[in-house]
Order: sequence, then C-alpha cells, then structure tokens
Amino acid sequence: MPDVRVLIVDDEPDIRATVSAMLEIEGYRVDEAVNGADALRVLEDHAPDLILLDMRMPVLDGWGFARELRQRGHRTPIVVMTAARDAARWASEIAAAEFVAKPFGMDDLIRAVERARPAT
Amino acid sequence: MSALELITLVNQALFVGLFLVVLAHAVRRPSRATVDTALLFGSIAAAVAVSVGATAVGLSDAAPRTPIVLLLFNLAPYAMIRLVDDFSGTPRFMLHLGAVAYVVIAALGFAFTVQRELVQLAIIAWFLAVGGYAAFAFAWESRRTRGITRRRMRAVATGAVAFITAVVLLFLNGMFSMDGVILDIAAQLTALTAVVAFFVGFAPPEWVRRAWREPDLRRFLEQSTRLVSVADETAAMAELQRAAAAAAGADGASIGVADPRRGVLAYISRDGERVEYPDDQFIAGRAFQEQRRIVAIDATALDPANAARYEQSRARTVIAAPITRGDRRIGVLAVYADRAPIFVEDDLWLIELLADHTSILLEARDLARQTGLLEAREEAARLKEEFLSAAAHDLRTPLTVVLGQAELLERRTARNPAAPVDAAGVSRLTKEARRLRDLISEMLDAQRLEQGVTMDRRTTDLRSIVTTVLERHAEEMSAVAVHLPDEVLSATVDGPRMQQVIENLLDNARKYSPDTATEIRLWREGDEARIAVVDRGVGVPDAERERIFERFYRASNARDITDTGMGLGLYICRRIVEEHGGLIWAEPTPGGGTTFVVALAGSTPPASLPEQAEPAHWAPAGDGTEAVADA
Repeated sequence: MPDVRVLIVDDEPDIRATVSAMLEIEGYRVDEAVNGADALRVLEDHAPDLILLDMRMPVLDGWGFARELRQRGHRTPIVVMTAARDAARWASEIAAAEFVAKPFGMDDLIRAVERARPAT
Repeated sequence: MSALELITLVNQALFVGLFLVVLAHAVRRPSRATVDTALLFGSIAAAVAVSVGATAVGLSDAAPRTPIVLLLFNLAPYAMIRLVDDFSGTPRFMLHLGAVAYVVIAALGFAFTVQRELVQLAIIAWFLAVGGYAAFAFAWESRRTRGITRRRMRAVATGAVAFITAVVLLFLNGMFSMDGVILDIAAQLTALTAVVAFFVGFAPPEWVRRAWREPDLRRFLEQSTRLVSVADETAAMAELQRAAAAAAGADGASIGVADPRRGVLAYISRDGERVEYPDDQFIAGRAFQEQRRIVAIDATALDPANAARYEQSRARTVIAAPITRGDRRIGVLAVYADRAPIFVEDDLWLIELLADHTSILLEARDLARQTGLLEAREEAARLKEEFLSAAAHDLRTPLTVVLGQAELLERRTARNPAAPVDAAGVSRLTKEARRLRDLISEMLDAQRLEQGVTMDRRTTDLRSIVTTVLERHAEEMSAVAVHLPDEVLSATVDGPRMQQVIENLLDNARKYSPDTATEIRLWREGDEARIAVVDRGVGVPDAERERIFERFYRASNARDITDTGMGLGLYICRRIVEEHGGLIWAEPTPGGGTTFVVALAGSTPPASLPEQAEPAHWAPAGDGTEAVADA
C-alpha cells in the first residue's frame, strides 16, 4: 500500500466521513478540514501529498483556498470533488490535477486519486 | 395707370382667381359648404366681370349695368349666412329673411336707378347687418374649434370684416362724393386685405397649411411618442385619442383597436372606460371593414341605424381612416365634430397621417409588451434552470454518501464476511437516504402547491400543532425556547400543512443560525392568531426580505452559509399560509437575526372569556403599535 497522506476539504460531515472511509480502506492516511481556511491550518501541521477539495464552502471556498495554497508555495496536487455540473471547468480554473463529480462511486474516487497523486 | 387702378385691377384678379379655385374644389367635392363658398365668390367675381366687361365695350355708368352688377354683388352677404349655417347652424328664419331681403334689395336696384342714395343706403345696411352677422358668427365659432380649423375660421372672419368695410367705404364715397381718390384707395386696400384673408381662409396654399399644422403635429408626435412606455393601456389610449383630436382640430377622436379573433374593435369611451363593438359597427367599423377612409359630413344620414348615437354623442360629422401596418389591420381612427367644420375634407391627408403614426405607436407598444413578456419568460426559464441546478446539487450530495457507504459495506463484507457491521456508516446511509426522500417530497410539494391544493381545514388548537412539531424533532429542537399561551388558541387550519410551516421555519433557524438561541412563540393579536419563529443569526438583507418567499429564491448570505437548500422552504410556507387566507413575513429581530411571523384568522374565542383573561404576550419586534405589553 502506498504511504500517501490525503487532506479532505468539505463542509458536509457525512461526505467527509464517507470519503475518509473509502480512502482508509484502500490504505491511505486521511486528514479532514471543514472549509478552505480550516484546510490551510491543517496542512501546516501535516503536509498532505494530495488534496480532495469541495468548491462551494462557507468562510473560504475552493477557489480562495487554491489561490492561497499556491501563493504559499505548495505544489500539492488537487482533486476537485463537487456536485456541480461545472466540475471540469472549475477544476481547470484552479489548475487541479483531477476531478470527481458527485455522486461518485468508490472506483471513480480511487481512480482519480491514483492518477493525481505524485509518483512515489 | 394710376396706383388706384393698379390696386383695383389686382383685387379684381384675386377675387376672380379665388372664385376659380373654390369652384374647382366645389366641382371635385360637391357639398353644401363647397357650393356655398363658390356662390360667395362667384357673386363677387360675376359682378367684377360684368363691370369690367361693360367698361370694355364702352357702356357708360348707367342702366342697365349698375342694377345687374348690384344684383350679383348683393348675393355675397346671403352666401355668407348660408356658409355660417353650413358649419355652425343658423336659425331657419334668418336664412329666409336673408333671401327676402336680397330680393327686396335687388328690386330696389332696378326700381330706383335715379334715386341712387336710397339704394346705396339700403345696400350699406344690407352688408352691415347680414355680412356683420356672418363675420361675427365665424369669429365666435372659431373659439369652439381647434388647430388649423380655428386658424382658417379666423382668417375667414377677418376677410368678412374687411370685405364689408371695403364695400361700405366704396358706397359712402359714391354717396357723398367726397375726396374720391383717398377713400377709393382706402377701400381698395381694405378689399385687398379681404381677398388675401379669404384666400388664406378658404384656399390656403400648401405652405401656409404646413406652417399652421406644424405646432399641432409636433405636439402630437411628442405626446404620442411618450405613450410608448405608458404601461396603463386605457390611459395611454385615452391620451392618444385626445392628442389626435387636438392635432386634427376636431371635437374628439376615437381609436378602435382590432381583436380579429373576436371580431371586435375596442375603444376608450369619453369616461375612460374600455368599450367593445363589433368590428363592422358605426362608420369607424365600416372604414375598418372596407379598409378605406370614410368622410361622413352627416353621419346620421350615412349610418341611419346608429343616428341616435351620433346625435347623442355630438358626433354628427365623422371622418374615419383605417390604421394599417403592412398587411396587418390594426384598427381604425375616427375624428368627429358636432358640426362639419367646413374645411374638414381638406384635412383628410392629416387624418391619414395621424392614422399612420398611430399604427407605428400601437406597434411600438405591442413590441414593448412582447419584450416584457419575453423577459418574464426568460426570468422564469432562468429560475427553472437555477432550480434544476440547485436540485441536482442537493440530490447529489446525499446520493454520494448513500452510494459510498453502500459500496464500503459491500467491500468490507467481501474482504471479511465475519467483520462487525460498521454501525456509524449504516446510520449515515440511513440519514442521507432520508434526506433524499425529504428533498424529493419538498420538490413535489412545491410543484403541487404551485398548481393549488385543497386544504383539509379544521378548528384546531394551534398549541397542539406547535408541540407536535417539537416532539417529532425533539432531538434537534431541544434548544428551542417555547412560549405558548395558557389557554386554547384555535384557528381553522390543515393540521399537517401548518406543522410543515412550523417545521420549515424552525429548520431554517437551525440551518442558518446554528449555535444561537431560537424561540417559537404563539399568541393572540386582536382577531388573529400569530406564530413567530425568532432566530438570532445573520439576518436577511433588507432588500431581500420579501424576495426570500419567492420560489427558488435564496438570500445572498444564505448561499454563503450552506450550499444545500433549493429555496423552496419559505415558498412552501408562504403558499400554505396564503391558502389559509393568512400572511407570513420576515422582520429583523432586535439585536440581530430574523423573526418570521405567521398571522392567521383566529377562531372567535368563547364569549364567556373576558378579554383580560388572555395570557401574557410576547410583543413582536418592530411596529410599536402592535406591541402588547406583558401583564
């Protein structure tokens, strides 16, 4: 199993819990954040290898988070995870590596994560 | 040739020229008015012709020349009163009297060629009395008319006064043999004024008409252009009718707008009421049917079936022109007057111009209305689009959890059939599946309420409705402060629907104002029962306080707080409350947050219950006059 650390950023607790469980069962290590601002704090403590990012969140949304992340010099790949039809467009707006559109199944998620994560 | 001879010659030429013009007009459009006009100038021109002709063949100033000239010349005042009768009405006896007087004068001319003074005095009296009356009548009647007709009437009145003055001067000169030349020149100059004024009045050259009409047309164009954006159809049409009447110099105007499907023309009556008539009724209807202009100098004769109506609405003369745009028959424009203004037929092109412009205006109004409809349709489509997108979003989030948790269960079991069930995962799955169900039923609910549903209303104690909701959601609503009256407060409501209203309001408070104190209050306010849900959250921006009750509308700050929610909850509340004949509104909670108030007509409390027996009330925020002090 790869030793990959994933940060999940989503304001819906049930989504966070479900995605965490999906990744953990596949052997990933997982951190969670409830919005963009929270994620910026969390990644200072545990630098992730990959970020799973919801776009529409209170306080600091996906766009704001991505901008701030790049400004701070992090090159961590991002997988956009959103319910919107515009998932692909939004992903390209923030130069994300991959995207998964809700509702996604476990296979979709793992495939996107595998493709996006840096080679070890 | 002396100056006097020159002026005399010019005058004679002008009178003859004027006669030829009005004669041509009378031949082209024979009517009493045009014939009488020709008679007036024919008498003068004939007198001139006989006089000049006699001089040319060398006849001296003696019989039979003078009586014949006078016979013709004296016809002029009589023709004038006939003209007065044509456009404003003259008592019958005046006409008969005029005819008799004319015969007497003519006879005098033949009988007393020797006693010239007597004849001349009689002629002066004849011209002064009858011609003066006609001049006065023209001047008086001009006050009643408008626009170009008024200007022409005044010119005619001026011409009549100058003409009579000239005649009187000529005869006085002949009688008293004063210093002939000066008086003669004065008389001829006055006559010149008269013929110019008559020309302007009876046969104005095109450039004079154009100059006269310009201000009226300009006003019409300005007024009517403004009417494109007047939303009130009736007011706009009434205004347009007034403007058209003023521009045409008529007493009034009617614009009938066609509804081809129903075969009617819709007019605005003088009282500002919209009235419809079959599109072949009246002269206006005929003009519309036959697609040609119709001039009815006497409408009662042309359309005897409606004679009484024309009389009653003082519209004896009607000119109607169809309003057409390309192949489209839009309607009809009719201008009318109590009496035929004698010049009205000359103004036909003006009426057609007005009809043309009216068609442009009506089309512009039509386009403006269609644009409005299109915008409304686009707005509806945009809302629907937003709804679909919000609905899709709302359904996808719980669906992701349901699908994900189900797959996890499947995989865990596959890997290790003996592994314990992930209880937390199963409860998430159940919760989100329920949320899906609720979302779907909310959407269907909104749809149903949109189409209108019947409420099963019974007299119910509202306290029981509130407590039912609180008990059902005891877990989430444990923090809600509840203030209920001590006594029964009933209203006639559909119980489950009213519970849904309260549930939605409490759910909103929880969603948008988490971790703050929420209250629910129930009290009596006059004849009403009121329910308030008070939160101390972020509040609703002032400008959006009414819009939040619209379908799919979500307050701008609500969208920041949570992505879920379709903007249907408050819409559903409003529809339900309105179906109960009640009202729902939002007001700011003092100190921050929002208070949603539902007001329902309360059932009459038992008569035995004295008013002061009411329990202590909570005073709603805002309007102090509504506040009821705690006892």
